[in-house]
Amino acid sequence: MEQEQSLWQFINQESAKLLQQTLQHIGLTFFSLLIAVLIGLPLGIYITRNKKASGIVLGIAGVLQTIPGIALLGFMIPLLGIGAVPAITALFLYALLPIIRNTFTGINGVDPTVREAAVAMGMSNAQMLFKVELPLAFPVIMAGIRTATVINVGVGTLAAYIAAGGLGEFIFGGIALNNTNMILAGAIPAALLAIVLDLLLSLVQRTGGKHRRRTILIMPLALLLLSSFYVLPMGYNARLLAGFTPEFMGRQDGDIGLRSVYGLKIRTVVISDAVMYKAAYDKKLDVISGYSTDGRLKAYDLTVLEDDKKIFPPYYAAPVIRKEVLQQYGELGPALELLAGRINDSTMTALNYKVEYLKQSPERCAREFLEGQGLYKAPRNGTRGLVRLGSKIFPEQYILINMYAMLIRGNTDLQVDTKTGLGGTKICFGALVNGKIDMYPEYTGTALLAILHPTKEEVGRLGGDRDSVFAYVRREFGEQYRLQWLTPIGFNNAYALMMRRSQAQELGIHSISGLTLYLKKK
Amino acid sequence: MILVKNVSKRFDGFLAVDNVSFTVNEGENAVFLGTSGCGKTTLVKMINRLIEPSSGEIWIGGKNIGGQPPEALRKSIGYVLQNTGLFPHYTISENIAVVPRLLGWDKQKIYARTTALLEKLHLPPGKYLSSYPHELSGGQQQRVGLARALAANPPILLMDEPFGALDPITRASVKKDFKELDELKSKTIILVTHDVQEAFELADRICLMDKGKIIQNGAPDDLLFRPADEYVRSFIGDQRFQLEVNRIGSKDYPALIEAFNHFKNRPL
Repeated sequence: MEQEQSLWQFINQESAKLLQQTLQHIGLTFFSLLIAVLIGLPLGIYITRNKKASGIVLGIAGVLQTIPGIALLGFMIPLLGIGAVPAITALFLYALLPIIRNTFTGINGVDPTVREAAVAMGMSNAQMLFKVELPLAFPVIMAGIRTATVINVGVGTLAAYIAAGGLGEFIFGGIALNNTNMILAGAIPAALLAIVLDLLLSLVQRTGGKHRRRTILIMPLALLLLSSFYVLPMGYNARLLAGFTPEFMGRQDGDIGLRSVYGLKIRTVVISDAVMYKAAYDKKLDVISGYSTDGRLKAYDLTVLEDDKKIFPPYYAAPVIRKEVLQQYGELGPALELLAGRINDSTMTALNYKVEYLKQSPERCAREFLEGQGLYKAPRNGTRGLVRLGSKIFPEQYILINMYAMLIRGNTDLQVDTKTGLGGTKICFGALVNGKIDMYPEYTGTALLAILHPTKEEVGRLGGDRDSVFAYVRREFGEQYRLQWLTPIGFNNAYALMMRRSQAQELGIHSISGLTLYLKKK
Repeated sequence: MILVKNVSKRFDGFLAVDNVSFTVNEGENAVFLGTSGCGKTTLVKMINRLIEPSSGEIWIGGKNIGGQPPEALRKSIGYVLQNTGLFPHYTISENIAVVPRLLGWDKQKIYARTTALLEKLHLPPGKYLSSYPHELSGGQQQRVGLARALAANPPILLMDEPFGALDPITRASVKKDFKELDELKSKTIILVTHDVQEAFELADRICLMDKGKIIQNGAPDDLLFRPADEYVRSFIGDQRFQLEVNRIGSKDYPALIEAFNHFKNRPL
């Protein structure tokens, strides 16, 4: 095993990236905040003048606030695509409610006597607003802006899912890669950013009298300046744009390998795999880091580039189970082994296609497959004991876990509980090791590189060979974690670079070397 | 001259001011006296258009105020509120300078005017110019409120219960400054109060109101010695003897005796 890297070493090594992500994060936060202030403040003022509209406006802003961040970003993609525009729009919508509500509350909170005095002195509506109402509501409005800022720093981490950058790249990359240092390298700056910005704004909020006038002049300029930190991730050849998942970005058998082994230099954005395929189909991206059995490969007519220098190790899926559970229930092993070698790459792609694109339920899809294979048996509704199955948060795992649940119920007297949608490798593996679940399907390559972290020499010795990698992870898991690998299911869900079939044909690109060559041509 | 012609004000079916007419001459101190809810405050707020009348007309200096921009009208009418209504985010000098600034006076003129007013109201400018309202006592705040109303030297001053929120000792002292202020001598003043003593003390003319109507409009002596009806008589009530003595003064013995007899013979 390689020596564990310390957080400090990681930050030092990745300082350039970290700085860029932090600046992007600040830029995203303030750009959306700026727009939210420009729209929310006048809207808040307007609804103090028009009480009928106030209910509607506050209601809509309130509903927007309750939409989960990921879902809001999801809604944005069909409308605005990927990248900065949908991210900023989503953050802007989140920032809107606190700003509108506090402007409304602040202005309504002005003492009616003071308001009457202002009118009686002969102030016009505008004079009253700027000389009396806004200055008196200032602390409350600033409190709203503070809230919005802190929300934006937090929600801003999700921007990494749709290729808008920010500190979420490290956070989600770290979760996917089981790399605590990487998570902390994103999470700590994000937390510090929230605390520092809140503190600074609280100082602004408390300025009074003459200083306040200066502050009010400086604020918009500061917002503009901070917004300008957001520069789109640029570099290298602008002819093609690649979108890689946070996980892929940080892996030896991912972006790092592409650079070191192939010398691939391509303009790259970080994006969630949930939206990556669609973005490629919509021509927002040209090259993506997909999985070779993903159903969307078929749905969006993408083609896999040949890995001619063999940097992607095999990712054969197999159930990983706790040894004591296997020993406790003798009939469990044979039931799980029923699936061994049954599903090849094209079968898995077809199954994924049904679920991801035809929107069949994973349960129905699993049952139809088992019936087709003659493996389906009606549940025995036994009560002998409970087996807890886990899955990662993507369709293939949902399908597999449904198959295993049916096989266990049909062939044993055991009860089954499924915990689907566990965030990533780190969460699934952590749950298994800590006895929160008993089994989940894992991939040999993931186990090798994201969990076991062998030395480079060791990886080289295994040489990407299916059987030697499997033997290695099986031995190490048994010794280190008392976990048992069962026989692989058959398919190899390896990483792959993909392009739109039409574009790949047009440019004559068939392999990763071909892509590298194309990009080197001027 | 302020001319009010057949003015009524209705709020959601409730008649707050009921077909009221009166005139206030230039330089006159008119006091609107009555219980809370009698319509006196509503009436006064219609003069600077804080409230628009439901019907009727108000003329000031020969012009119908309904036809003027309200902001311009208000800048020519000083207004003093019961709870001061000072701007909490403005310093004392900024508060006083509000109307002059709206009128576009130059800085030196505003500064000179502000300091002069503070001197007259016994608030040393060196100490108070850059204070904020919350740093002042109630009486001092009310003096600043008066200074703010007078800053642009308006010919008319409206005062809505100006001493109402003060304790008796402070009230006496603020009232004394108020009466000694030479600027007020030439101004047309309309003052609203529920305090009978105060009305008699400050008024050239008293309009006693009840249920939106003026019950009696006349000189203080008229109300005292020639009350229009039983309501006026009972409103003045217990304070009659004190008021009568005050009005007549100690030199006019025959009148004083007449007043005493008048009081003595009144049924208790």
